[in-house]
Amino acid sequence: MNWTAVLEFARGPFFKVALLVFIAGMAYRIARIIMLGWKKDRVPPRGSKVEGAAISFLKGILIWPFIPWVKDTFKRNPIIYIAGGLFHLGLFVVLILGTAHMLVWKSLLGFGWATLPLPIVDWLAAVAIVAMIVLFIHRLTNPVMRLISGWPEWLNLLFVFLPMVTGYMMTHHLFFRYEVLFSLHMLSVNVMLIWIPISRISHFVFYFFSKAIHGADFGKRSVSP
Amino acid sequence: MKTISNIAMNTFVKETGGYVAAQLEACTRCGMCADACHFYVATGNPEYAPVWKIDLLKRAYEQRFTLSGKVKLALGVDKPVTDEDIQKFSKIVYEACTMCNKCSMVCPMGLQLGPLIHEVRTSMSNAGVVPDDLMKAVNKQVEEGSPLGVTDDVYDDRIEWVADEWEVDIPVDVKGADTLVVFSSIEVMKFPENIAAIAKILNTAGEKWTLSTAGREVVNFGFYEGSEERTKMFMQRIFDAAKELGVKKIVVTECGHAYDALRWTSYNMMEVPAGIEITHIVGLIGEYVRSGKIKLKAGAFDNGVITFHDACKIQRRGGHIKEPREILKILAPNSFKEMSPSKEQAICCGGGGGVIAIKEADPVRYAAFELKIDQMKAVGADAVVMSCSNCRLQFTDCVQHFNLDVKVKGLSQMVADALEER
Repeated sequence: MNWTAVLEFARGPFFKVALLVFIAGMAYRIARIIMLGWKKDRVPPRGSKVEGAAISFLKGILIWPFIPWVKDTFKRNPIIYIAGGLFHLGLFVVLILGTAHMLVWKSLLGFGWATLPLPIVDWLAAVAIVAMIVLFIHRLTNPVMRLISGWPEWLNLLFVFLPMVTGYMMTHHLFFRYEVLFSLHMLSVNVMLIWIPISRISHFVFYFFSKAIHGADFGKRSVSP
Repeated sequence: MKTISNIAMNTFVKETGGYVAAQLEACTRCGMCADACHFYVATGNPEYAPVWKIDLLKRAYEQRFTLSGKVKLALGVDKPVTDEDIQKFSKIVYEACTMCNKCSMVCPMGLQLGPLIHEVRTSMSNAGVVPDDLMKAVNKQVEEGSPLGVTDDVYDDRIEWVADEWEVDIPVDVKGADTLVVFSSIEVMKFPENIAAIAKILNTAGEKWTLSTAGREVVNFGFYEGSEERTKMFMQRIFDAAKELGVKKIVVTECGHAYDALRWTSYNMMEVPAGIEITHIVGLIGEYVRSGKIKLKAGAFDNGVITFHDACKIQRRGGHIKEPREILKILAPNSFKEMSPSKEQAICCGGGGGVIAIKEADPVRYAAFELKIDQMKAVGADAVVMSCSNCRLQFTDCVQHFNLDVKVKGLSQMVADALEER
């Protein structure tokens, strides 16, 4: 098999198509939600909705993904909670502050930025992969998770796991030739990009809707979200 | 076809706007909400996970609105919602959910699961799949004006008796009063001392207040049921009475769900008479204490350990978190101890949302209360105070059921007992 040709295809035309599907698909989904109609809230507030939303985002992004005891509930299940936080941290650091990925962004956007040293990014990538395995085992064994997991949930895990593992193997030149790993990495990235708009991985966009709703609903009652 | 699944599905579709859809899209199915639900924690039944309670809403949304949902349906991966599904979920959303919205506090995406489950109840109500006990109470409120059978005559007798028994002035149907106070029939029938207490506080503060015979019931069983029509009907009675009497303020007494309906929901459902403020008795008492309209004997209840139970609809969803604490710090500066978790993170009593009215829900209701027992034991509480008579009904019943050595108190009553003479 000619891996060089596969790689050229995977990082060339296929990547462009996948990226286009991703962008168009997400744009469609956001537009549809916005156009479904939003009733005006006529309830006289006791507190500030904007303040509530701001606190809601601050807590959601900075504070509580990593500190389970802030919310007493997670004393029961701290490992899963921390795994979820670390997975997202690892994912975003690798995607944005990893040098190789920054260069991809640069080629797409036209500008780049400073990145973190490889060992740090590498460790976080490993942490994210381990966290994902923990989350997978949790989904497999917890009765609630089994009840609410259909095949899309399993595919979500698979389609995010593959790019992460192939990327990690690529950095460490494990098991296969570089072109092979690079090809597999790009192919799996492309599959994931196409999968995102038709799956719940798209939550990274709707997060901003639901968190704002949450913050506003609590803020208007002057309750800390 | 007019099958119940069809009616339910159509209701879901009607109710789905951006608010509902954006939240359903945001759900990652991470399952974290399960650990926040007292019914799940108490029983371990995975079907009580909040995310599962909105599963029908999610399927309806996917199948009717989204491309992937339609494809899944066509491929047979997802099945159409059946009548059996609706029947099964009716039990889950009415018997094992108080819509306390604690789950929204732990949802990483911030979904307002309580209100979403309320949407599920709305479709159940339209399809006519509501537990019998709850529906009987709703019908009683439609016909007699109160789920506990407090008719005009019963009400008048009862109020007259309270006024005599506790020697307190209770104005009824006074035109031109500033404030209309609306009690719940739980207070009228089961905690009459609460009426006397609140009357005493209002009189001491010099409030120009009145009760209304026509608008005598603050409890809203239509809201429990999820029926938009009946929720509005019951609130309309109060608004009509308020207009008739020309008041400027409506005070909801110790009933949580009623407060959620009147204060936080009515404006988006119907025409609320202009110039009328809606507030809760705890908010009003808090205001009196802050402004000095009433003075409380400091340390009046300072013995043993007193703790406060936050009601989901008055504290977490009502916002009156500070007032009870300010009051308790005056009444019991040394005895007052917080349970953990408390305030907006508090664990629900397990009896709200109509659950206590459904006999078949008794086992899960008692099971959920065991979490409260653990919390009270952890602080060594001799007494527990609350500002919701529905919670109080649950506490009183459960203290008896579990044979606990804990006194159950209403906050207004403690305030009334500690009033300094003016």
